[in-house]
Amino acid sequence: MSESFDLEVNGVAYPVSVDQSRNLLSVIREEIGLTGTKEGCDDCECGACMVLLDGQPVNSCSYLAVQAQGRSITTVEGVMQGDEMHVLQRKLLEEGGVQCGFCTPGMIMSAHALLDRTANPTPEDVRIGLSGNLCRCTGYAKILAAVEHAAAELG
Amino acid sequence: MAITESPRFVRADGPDKVTGSGRYTADMNLTGQLVAKFRYADVASARITRLDVSAAKAMPGVFAVITDEDVPDVHYGSPVPDRTLFARDAVRYEGEVVAAVAAVDAATAQSAVDAIVVEYEALPIVADLEASMAEGSPLVHERWETYDVGDGTEQRPNVASFSSIEKGDVQAGLDQADHVVTSRYEADGTHAIPIEPRAVIAQWEGDKVTIWTSSQVPFDARNGVCETLQLSANRVRVIVPHLGGGFGGKCGFHFEAHVAALARATRRPVKLVFSRREEFLAPDRRRESMIIDITTGVRNDGTITARTGWVAVENGAYTADSAFFPQLSAMHVAGPYAIANVFIESSLVYTNHQPSGSVRAPTAPQACWASESHNDEVARAIGMDPVEFRRRNLVDEGIEGPSGQVYGDIGVRRCLEAAVEAAGYGDDLPADEAIGVAVGWWPSFPGPSGAYIKLDGDGSGQIITGAQECGTGSVMTLRQLAADELGMDAEDFQLVYQDTSAAPYDTGATGSQTLLNNGRAVVESAKEIAEQLRELAADQLEAAAADIVLAGGNAHVAGSPDKSVSIPELAGIAAGGELLIGKGSGTPPEYPSASATCVGDQGMAGWAGPQFSCHAIRIRLDRETGVVRVLDVFAAHDSGTIINPVGARGQVEGGIMMGIGQALTEGTRYGDDGRQQNPALLEYKLQTAADVPTIHTTFIEVPDPNAGPRGAKGVAEAPNVPTAAAIANAITKLIGRPVRQLPMTAERVWTTSNTGSEQGGES
Repeated sequence: MSESFDLEVNGVAYPVSVDQSRNLLSVIREEIGLTGTKEGCDDCECGACMVLLDGQPVNSCSYLAVQAQGRSITTVEGVMQGDEMHVLQRKLLEEGGVQCGFCTPGMIMSAHALLDRTANPTPEDVRIGLSGNLCRCTGYAKILAAVEHAAAELG
Repeated sequence: MAITESPRFVRADGPDKVTGSGRYTADMNLTGQLVAKFRYADVASARITRLDVSAAKAMPGVFAVITDEDVPDVHYGSPVPDRTLFARDAVRYEGEVVAAVAAVDAATAQSAVDAIVVEYEALPIVADLEASMAEGSPLVHERWETYDVGDGTEQRPNVASFSSIEKGDVQAGLDQADHVVTSRYEADGTHAIPIEPRAVIAQWEGDKVTIWTSSQVPFDARNGVCETLQLSANRVRVIVPHLGGGFGGKCGFHFEAHVAALARATRRPVKLVFSRREEFLAPDRRRESMIIDITTGVRNDGTITARTGWVAVENGAYTADSAFFPQLSAMHVAGPYAIANVFIESSLVYTNHQPSGSVRAPTAPQACWASESHNDEVARAIGMDPVEFRRRNLVDEGIEGPSGQVYGDIGVRRCLEAAVEAAGYGDDLPADEAIGVAVGWWPSFPGPSGAYIKLDGDGSGQIITGAQECGTGSVMTLRQLAADELGMDAEDFQLVYQDTSAAPYDTGATGSQTLLNNGRAVVESAKEIAEQLRELAADQLEAAAADIVLAGGNAHVAGSPDKSVSIPELAGIAAGGELLIGKGSGTPPEYPSASATCVGDQGMAGWAGPQFSCHAIRIRLDRETGVVRVLDVFAAHDSGTIINPVGARGQVEGGIMMGIGQALTEGTRYGDDGRQQNPALLEYKLQTAADVPTIHTTFIEVPDPNAGPRGAKGVAEAPNVPTAAAIANAITKLIGRPVRQLPMTAERVWTTSNTGSEQGGES
């Protein structure tokens, strides 16, 4: 059954009309047209579809779009601060934490949530905070370094 | 030429990737686009007795249902053409495509797939490698003898390709030995698992088709479409948007032709996006399972007197690019050791499982795991430290290796010493910790490649390259090579890449070859432009062209930096006349000769630009559970000259993490029905950020004159060759006997430790 409602993504309210069974990922990608959020497994295992829901990281492949009504969604497209890259984006590039880039948006969202809730994360905090995001290219080391350096810069 | 060090190399495609603006194939949509879905065999081995698509075709919203009858009658595959686009008469593995549907949306397409009627008569399932090779086994391909295989490919019943390497007299060598050690090792198959599932979009305009696809090898994909749909190369344009990883899983030619055929039948753009489950089941690219028997004769002083090997490499149901795997695996069973007497035979064995293909260093991690575990067994048999045993036998400059190749200046011994020294090998460790050491090697793959460069009238440059960026950053590095030749900055160049209609041929992101081959092509192209700039500057500065130096964005007369003209100014002059266009391919490095006798020679006995590596890995074992934790990896690599250090380190770290997965958790389990039992990331476990050890990487930079630009060799595949082997040798130190199956899961480690069940040993 179809339902019409507003979804607030990156501060913009988008009116959508979708079947109740649609997951948040497909609505963000196909109805709203923001394709930065990726689908890697549709199984909550890879984290490529990670978005923030009221600041909490959520695998959007396994979350119904209708459940996100009235809540604030942040995707990778909403991380830039004006024309400036977020420190996480900048550090990922500087450290070499980006290779194929397919896991990168989800990594950024998980790291963002971690830094929002933990001002000075320990290396172990960062490892655990990113353990729900699979990366096959980098071996994670440079991603972990980037997030630690970003945390240091944010103080 | 000034060589620019780039300690903080920021990749040109990086901003796209961190902001979410970069488009991957699945992110694209075309107006009027239909959705493709496949009907798979779902049984591993059967004869098709009925295939009826009429009900599916009649469904509202279904635009086309196609099968083998709707495409040209072509068997494809090189050098073993044993495949057709759609199953014909029989199915040979569960992921084989029987029919393809294009419909208005995914739900309709799936309903149509479900409405296709397929009836089967069950055939025997060939699953076991040794049983497949046994006389009288049912044949996976009954008409294998009719396939028009390439020259040099040696076929046998249920063996798609057989190779042997023979040198000296192994019986005489074994007779000279003080000890003879025999071992058997068995490795499960694994998967490449790029995080991006593959996607293909095809659109026809008149008699030409454009295909956007997540391929590592766009020219191979194009050639596959041309061959199977019988089209000329200039009617098929393959474009790869950003590619979300491949690791070999996206090499070869996969589903581009199926989607193009659907688009032609429907006169609409058609899009295919795989689910993760389809990624596990359907592609003809996964890492092969193997059985490896090795026997070594050794003298008490550590000298290897002979080595014999018998290797079975699982081909699966069809032959992808795997015909060279037997010879390659034989080289890894031998290893980079000076062995006078060698006889290794290796077979690529058909089964009713998913086809194997080039996944990151095919056959090498498994074969290295077996041979390096075996080498530790040999060292134990003579009471010698395993590192010392390797010191006694490793190849070196001027030394003949197991295939009879004599090596130039190579860094293998320095890799061993650097890794064991960094690891503190020999120091006391806690009782539940150990360090294992393994040495690996891997060839470079010289091949044809091409690029163009043009400088526009404002002096900005474009590199039009056939190379494919799969994430490694090697295409990004090409800008630096051009910039260094022309005295310009990397940022002065944009890349046009991953478009078969724009660029000359390249073999793609395969064989760690981009920098090796396309780097050469880009340098050649830049040299042509440099020559033109010098001629133009010579006119402007009234000097000889040979005296013009290109540096800092200017052309100046040697010894007179103030007599200069800017490159943009020269480009502006050229824009009114002879355009600044350079092209290049260059001459690939030669494959060195190897004196061994090889049956079924696939060109893998003599290696150009051989890469060497040593991993010393410290682990901790929980004896109660068999769980192994990798604590530190000390990796030393000779990949020749390193041009992009950040990128190269990223390859080593990524390769090691993939190697740890292969060592401990990754493996496909098959049921008696021939079907995969764990085709999902929940049950097929990759390493996560929480598992990362400390990785200490050292590059032993030995420039190789018979390799890539500046003596660079490949980088990307070598790092996961010795990882599993080093972990295995550490485990053996802790539990007293080798785990003879890969992956060395907690269960297998615990069982080996506590029940003592193992095969082989000294005889």
